[in-house]
Amino acid sequence: MKRRSFIKSICTVSAVAVTMNPSLVVAKEGVPKGANALDYEASVKAITGGKAVTDSAKVSLSVPEIAENGAVVPVKVKVESAMTEVEHVKAIHVLSSKNGNARCADVMLTPMNGKGYFATRIKLGGTQDVVALVEMSDGSFLRAAKPVKVTIGGCG
Amino acid sequence: MAEARKSMIKFKPKKFKVGDTIKVDFIVIHPMDTGLKKDKKTGKVKPAHYIDSITFSLDGKPFTTMKVWETVSTNPYFSVNLKVPGKGKITVDYTDNTGEKNSKSKKLKPKG
Repeated sequence: MKRRSFIKSICTVSAVAVTMNPSLVVAKEGVPKGANALDYEASVKAITGGKAVTDSAKVSLSVPEIAENGAVVPVKVKVESAMTEVEHVKAIHVLSSKNGNARCADVMLTPMNGKGYFATRIKLGGTQDVVALVEMSDGSFLRAAKPVKVTIGGCG
Repeated sequence: MAEARKSMIKFKPKKFKVGDTIKVDFIVIHPMDTGLKKDKKTGKVKPAHYIDSITFSLDGKPFTTMKVWETVSTNPYFSVNLKVPGKGKITVDYTDNTGEKNSKSKKLKPKG
């Protein structure tokens, strides 16, 4: 019984110590918050405004299958479109499904671009999907997604 | 304006004609801090510092605008296409979350 009470007292002491120091609790609870914490589902809703999104072969997304370094993941998005005043790609949104901040870049294009194309390099915190959400000039949304395996995360 | 950042605009391919669709690449030296990383020297968490908006324009007329978050890699690279309408000047303006504004421009010289 002596041993049991001793352990109990240690537990309470350490619990008090933890509650006294709130910064420690935050650090222990994991997931630290960055500058923006935009959830994937919420940001998709914010972009589309609740409209239906269709997976389309018109959007080609090229990402590496396995990224050795999550801090630098090249992303290339190409969209088949005539890019005229009537029919063009209005915007390309690049998102990641599990990053603390799901949004990477919103690119607003015009017919002056000539082609629906965008390339950049993004950070990925872990193995997840990279999603390209494309808004056409007629208001429809197209989507392409590809999984990327990350061996070393790049967000912390 | 704070100290000028190193940046670069590149056209691919280098030689092009009027009416061609070329790639306009823009690279800038910027830390793109997420606000999660610790400074190795001081042990304190570095505050978030990232580029949040970029505008590509041709002779003052914007043709691509971007909104960017800290999830873009350090020393970011952005590439878009442009259908060359003739001679002109490409300007890229960018602003970061601390309000720092910079711009870079390059002449567009199509041949033939």
